[in-house]
Amino acid sequence: MGDDTKILVVDDEPIVIKSCTAVLKSEGYNVEGMLSGKDAILRMEQTPYDLVFTDLKMPEVDGITLIRWIKQKRPDTGIVIITGYPSQDTMKDALELGIIDYVPKPFTPAVLLDVTHRAVEWVKGKAPAEKKVPEEFPPAMIQEIDRVITQYKGKPGSSIPVLQRCQEIVGYLPPVVQKRIAKGLNMTPAEIHSIVSFYSFFTMKPRGDHNIRICLGTACYVKRVEEVLNKIKQDLKLEVGEVTEDRKFSLETVRCLGACGLAPVMVIDDETYGAMNPKKVPEILKEYAGKD
Amino acid sequence: MEGKIRANLLMCAGTGCVASGTPKVKAALQEELQKRGLADEIKIVLTGCNGFCAEGPVMLVYPEGIFYQKLTVDEIPKLVEEHFLKGRPYEKLMFREPEKKTAIPTMNEIPFFKHQVLRVLRNKGLIDPENMDEYIARDGYLAAAKALTEMTQADIIKTVKDSGLRGRGGAGFPTGMKWEFASKSVADQKYMLCNGDEGDPGAFMDRSVMEADPHSVIEGMIIGAKAIGASKGVIYVRAEYPLAVKRLQLAIDKCREAGLLGENILDSGFTFDLEIYLGAGAFVCGEETALMRSIEGKRGMPRPRPPFPAHKGLWDKPSVLNNVETLAQIAPVILHGAEWYKTLGTEKSTGTKVFALTGDIKNVGLVEVPMGIPLRTIIYDIGGGMKNKKKKFKSVQMGGPSGGCIPEILIDIPVTYEDVVKTGAIMGSGGMVVMDEDTCMVSTSKFFLEFTADESCGKCTPCRVGTRVMLDMLTDITEGRGKDGDIETLQDLSRDIISTSLCGLGQTAPNPVLSTIRYFRDEYESHIKDNWCKAGICRKLCSFHIFEDLCKGCGACLRGCPQQAIAGEKKQPHRIIQELCIQCRSCYDTCKFGAIKIGPAGCKDIKAMRELLEKVKEVKG
Repeated sequence: MGDDTKILVVDDEPIVIKSCTAVLKSEGYNVEGMLSGKDAILRMEQTPYDLVFTDLKMPEVDGITLIRWIKQKRPDTGIVIITGYPSQDTMKDALELGIIDYVPKPFTPAVLLDVTHRAVEWVKGKAPAEKKVPEEFPPAMIQEIDRVITQYKGKPGSSIPVLQRCQEIVGYLPPVVQKRIAKGLNMTPAEIHSIVSFYSFFTMKPRGDHNIRICLGTACYVKRVEEVLNKIKQDLKLEVGEVTEDRKFSLETVRCLGACGLAPVMVIDDETYGAMNPKKVPEILKEYAGKD
Repeated sequence: MEGKIRANLLMCAGTGCVASGTPKVKAALQEELQKRGLADEIKIVLTGCNGFCAEGPVMLVYPEGIFYQKLTVDEIPKLVEEHFLKGRPYEKLMFREPEKKTAIPTMNEIPFFKHQVLRVLRNKGLIDPENMDEYIARDGYLAAAKALTEMTQADIIKTVKDSGLRGRGGAGFPTGMKWEFASKSVADQKYMLCNGDEGDPGAFMDRSVMEADPHSVIEGMIIGAKAIGASKGVIYVRAEYPLAVKRLQLAIDKCREAGLLGENILDSGFTFDLEIYLGAGAFVCGEETALMRSIEGKRGMPRPRPPFPAHKGLWDKPSVLNNVETLAQIAPVILHGAEWYKTLGTEKSTGTKVFALTGDIKNVGLVEVPMGIPLRTIIYDIGGGMKNKKKKFKSVQMGGPSGGCIPEILIDIPVTYEDVVKTGAIMGSGGMVVMDEDTCMVSTSKFFLEFTADESCGKCTPCRVGTRVMLDMLTDITEGRGKDGDIETLQDLSRDIISTSLCGLGQTAPNPVLSTIRYFRDEYESHIKDNWCKAGICRKLCSFHIFEDLCKGCGACLRGCPQQAIAGEKKQPHRIIQELCIQCRSCYDTCKFGAIKIGPAGCKDIKAMRELLEKVKEVKG
């Protein structure tokens, strides 16, 4: 079952490492343990792993730092977090960093194995280097979607809030997600789709790492925002509603951001840039080109 | 334990100032105060939008009332040393009038603020919107207490009716009458709703109120709920306004804690609770029946009226929907009475109105003025005139995609619901976009039609298809394919769309086209007949020429030309090589001497153009 899958468990509590190792070894996995994030990084510089289980709260190098390091240096390694408090905020942070799943502490051997099997399947099944649009989503994401659905289920008029929350989790609303929501809310996929297609807030296409929004409100129009838009299109070779080939940037236009005092306005992710002109574009884009 | 605070620094944390750098400046200020050992006696308060967005980041120093603008991190040490250590207000960061050199130290003397009367924005820039005590200290929730404990439903409705307050969302329907209809409906459940789905491009007053003074909206809703007998309320806010959502939610939570929302409010036996519903970006949801469908989780499409929402609204229960600005006015009306409210404004348009002043104007920002004030005062005295002093005022757009463009000849009209409608525009939610002579009015009306064609929900064919057909025609005109008779066809189509659409979106969509045809017909004609966009905006309909007698040979245009289409020796008149020119107008914008003129498409003969320009001048003169 475990074949040659290599797993590294990182936790500052020896008992966690001990119990994980015992459980996973019994299934034939190749398991090692590290007592700190620092040790884990040193170890991983030497040798790759298929899967890393890590605690979040650790002295010196904490879990989030470790995850960032892995994403940069060992992008093919799958990550599962072990956490005592899977609160919404930490989960969101971790999801954004691209974890596969989490194991709540304390856990039973059955839970650990269940999560491990799924994570291994995910790691082995995924296309290696190429960044493809996933038609399947990591189990943690699906759990989050289901949690949102359960929270709103039976409450009249909840379709829009559920779609908003799910878009936050996944980043966009592909058909699979819409179907799951429809089923969960006892609606037809057509009904859900009719809402998604009506409101401009919802998108069915994945966005880039950085989403550029150009305001097309009146004040921005009068201040010739069009020239800014054209410059961006030209520089990134990108049309409105599309994503660059390297999936770094996506471009959208919006109808007034209500920041008319700063017209023309451009927003990248959550950062607002006012008094824009075509000359400012290259410099700002450069700032983001280096970021993840 | 708080020590003795000797000064409060009210820093604007509205969206405009935040984007201009408030967070960095605040951090630097905090650090500098700490370093100088002043952190215990000088307190920084982050407030909502101050309104003077053009000069951001701004800060008001109390108790002196000194107003600082365009703050930068670099200037902070000097500012702290001068003002807070040596006690000398720092002139360098004060406001100056463009032509005069003297600095204006206090806010109330700055022309931008001097003509304003603050009722809706009574707390703007003065309180920390996330601190309920500061709202209460400024008479907050006194009106709610009065309404809940001393007044009957009929008393409240009578006061609001007598005040003459009209809905600030656009159409100006009397608020008191709306409440009266709903109060007379009998049902087991009624809803009090707030429309914070500000959608008019160019308007941001609702955003500012929700961000700067969320409690004023909630207090208005509590009073309205009592008046109509509603126990549940919903604030519908755009998801694009995350800060407004956060602050409203915080305010609601605080109100619940304080017993101002929930069961048996203030021991009055009245029960009312509120929730926030995030909009998902559809302009048509500003229409009340569409907004209610959206809260029900459906596509936000309008439905025919009657039945009116006052009888059958949200979930088919009697509902009242008021705009943010309307609700923010309720508390003062109840507290000071209808007579007080009517002391400002005109007979039919009472009180004050907030406008979002934007576009080619100097003082961009949020202003609140008494109704009936001349449009000229807003644009020239408060707004400070054109941003580029060399350019002439052309028009002001009011009412967004449902409104129209008011030309210079009408700039002396008093700003009231009635007078604005007479011009072909509407008061709308209060966006005022000022345009100077470099604006092409055909392109402007095309811009608005693009908006409505895009936002039409598709229910009524005349609106869905009609706006598209009109848009195609306008595109043709701006690209040189206009034909004789197009103007008349546009007018005919407009009339049909207006008379056959169900909701406000369709009924008003053609307004921008009609009003620009009414006042700027000559521009349409010169586009169609002469292939000439005189503002040089429609690229296919213009050409650029350097008048030799005006050119100083400074070379600025030559350096800025992306096509190297300009030739000439230093200090000698330059010329444009027409074959290479792509009509990007960068030379036109660069030239300080006005030597570059805009001619019709394909014009090669400057002499002929000169004559043409002279002729135009004569006709206009």
